[in-house]
Amino acid sequence: MLRKLLKHEFRATGRIMLPMYLVLLVTALGSNLAGRKMLGPSDILNILGVLIIMAFGFAICGVLLMSFVLMIQRFYKNLLQDEGYLMFTLPVSIHQHIWSKVIVSSVWFIATVLAIIAASLIVAFQGGFLRELFDFLRYFFEGLQKLKISEALNGTVYLLEFAILMFLSLVAFSLQFYAALAAGHSRANHKMLWSVVWFFGFQFALQFAGSLLIMGLDRMNFFRFFDCFDGLTPAAAIHVGLLLAIVCAVIYGAIFYAVTTFFLKKHLNLE
Amino acid sequence: MQWQFSNDAPIYTQLIQQVKVGIVTGAFPPGERLPSVRDLATEAGVNPNTMQRALAELERDGLVYSQRTAGRFVTEDNTMINQAKRSLAERHVKTFLEAMLRLGFQRDEIITLITQELGEEEADHASA
Amino acid sequence: MPVLECKGLTKRFGRTTALDEVSLAIEPGRIVGLLGPNGSGKTTLIKLANGLLTPDGGYIAVCGGAPGRESHSLVSYLPERTAIPTWMTARQLLDFYGDFYQDFRREAAEEMLDHLGIQPGQAVRQMSKGTREKVQLIMVMSRAAKLYLLDEPIGGVDPATRDYILSTIIGNYNPEAAVVISTHLIADVEKVLDEVVFIHQGRVMLQSTVDDIREDKGMSVDALFREVFKC
Repeated sequence: MLRKLLKHEFRATGRIMLPMYLVLLVTALGSNLAGRKMLGPSDILNILGVLIIMAFGFAICGVLLMSFVLMIQRFYKNLLQDEGYLMFTLPVSIHQHIWSKVIVSSVWFIATVLAIIAASLIVAFQGGFLRELFDFLRYFFEGLQKLKISEALNGTVYLLEFAILMFLSLVAFSLQFYAALAAGHSRANHKMLWSVVWFFGFQFALQFAGSLLIMGLDRMNFFRFFDCFDGLTPAAAIHVGLLLAIVCAVIYGAIFYAVTTFFLKKHLNLE
Repeated sequence: MQWQFSNDAPIYTQLIQQVKVGIVTGAFPPGERLPSVRDLATEAGVNPNTMQRALAELERDGLVYSQRTAGRFVTEDNTMINQAKRSLAERHVKTFLEAMLRLGFQRDEIITLITQELGEEEADHASA
Repeated sequence: MPVLECKGLTKRFGRTTALDEVSLAIEPGRIVGLLGPNGSGKTTLIKLANGLLTPDGGYIAVCGGAPGRESHSLVSYLPERTAIPTWMTARQLLDFYGDFYQDFRREAAEEMLDHLGIQPGQAVRQMSKGTREKVQLIMVMSRAAKLYLLDEPIGGVDPATRDYILSTIIGNYNPEAAVVISTHLIADVEKVLDEVVFIHQGRVMLQSTVDDIREDKGMSVDALFREVFKC
């Protein structure tokens, strides 16, 4: 059933995101043209070129904003508004509902990042561009070859860990929104107001719990733990730090996943 | 066939009456298969269980009979149909008389009125 | 076994009690009218049976279990509002129902849509309010469910549409399934019902068959309703 939910969720979101990517592509092509052909002596062409490049900038902001807005809007509109009557009476579990929303919005986030990278390459593309790009890549890999295997490996893993951390934080952040909406809409009245209250409540609770944790750990002389790092190389210490951050992001996400599930399962109160 | 319902009697008894009228007037001819319960219910706009109950009652009276797989049929027995016709007529006459008596008419006045009305009708027919 | 059963079912919204110790049972093969004035608790009861609300007390069972994933595959629900996503086309809607409900009879739905002259490529957004309600009802009635819960299926539609909706309900009747129709327009549905449940201020006032009421009281359910709920 999750697969079917995903299919229809992609249908619902694709009809918005794909045209956005198309706009991004068109403005990128336009900017490329503008950069190479328009900026020059003619005033009119100059203005036109600048406008097109500005449009490209707006398109980038637009897709970024839209993938974020969609993440919240789909959860709210599809589950907590009128469509919720249809969605929550499907033979589907609450977990599948939440996962379908999380997975689909994550996929669009990744696709958006890739689309922006692709669009930027398009803007920069010119006659010798490909050669320059390949030259750059060649230097890059030659540089890598000069590194020790361990250093190259470390670098790649850092990047990977950082990407995972970013991704998980994003998912966890979406879940915080979902949890606030689910909690707010379990109330009989003033659902949206309560959602906002819950969101800031969560934010406050997180910071409070975080401070308490740090203070508590400090009292327990937990930070002696870091003394263990003394024996580690700096490279290994960064790994440990990143992995700890990933664990924290997972816990952060898991808490809000549990909160969202709790409210949708036990306290659903559709208007 | 026109289906009409009043508000004061159970729906299934009204359905029995109306199917009877259908049989007597030839809307459901003798020996013909009746539409299915669902089709009749949809046509009359009534609950299928109520229609089922009415047809079962008619079956008990013998005006319709069912064949296991083929469905329900109108009886071919003309005496039975005529009996039904007569009982329907008696019922009409009875309600008519009740209404007339309530209006304060006497037996002979009613008869005079009826013959007069029938005479006028005949005259209408003759002139037309 | 009743397809819908509640015992002492209670639901509160803040300080108001929407349902107060409601107990009733609905058997398969019956078409039941859930009748009451606006705000009497009809919609609340139906939403509880669909798991869209959580009860504050008592117990509700649908096809033998608490409302949830299993009951959803057996219950076909028509909400009192348009819940179908308006961006979908008729065809996408058919895909949607076919994907999620194993008992969805796509051919039946296609035939009914065709009968109304709705093109498969037409988006719900482009349809009139009445057409949307008909399309939603077609989806709901095209399932071979065990329990149909229809919340105000004839509220706010013109008489021709109302006739169409009622004949669709009768035409899809299945002796193993029960149909619950909530409405305050009693005269229109009375002939279609086996049984009626009168509900007022969150309490069940009466559960009886239509013909018993007519036989015992010598009046229609509509007339009785007006008498019981006289202001």
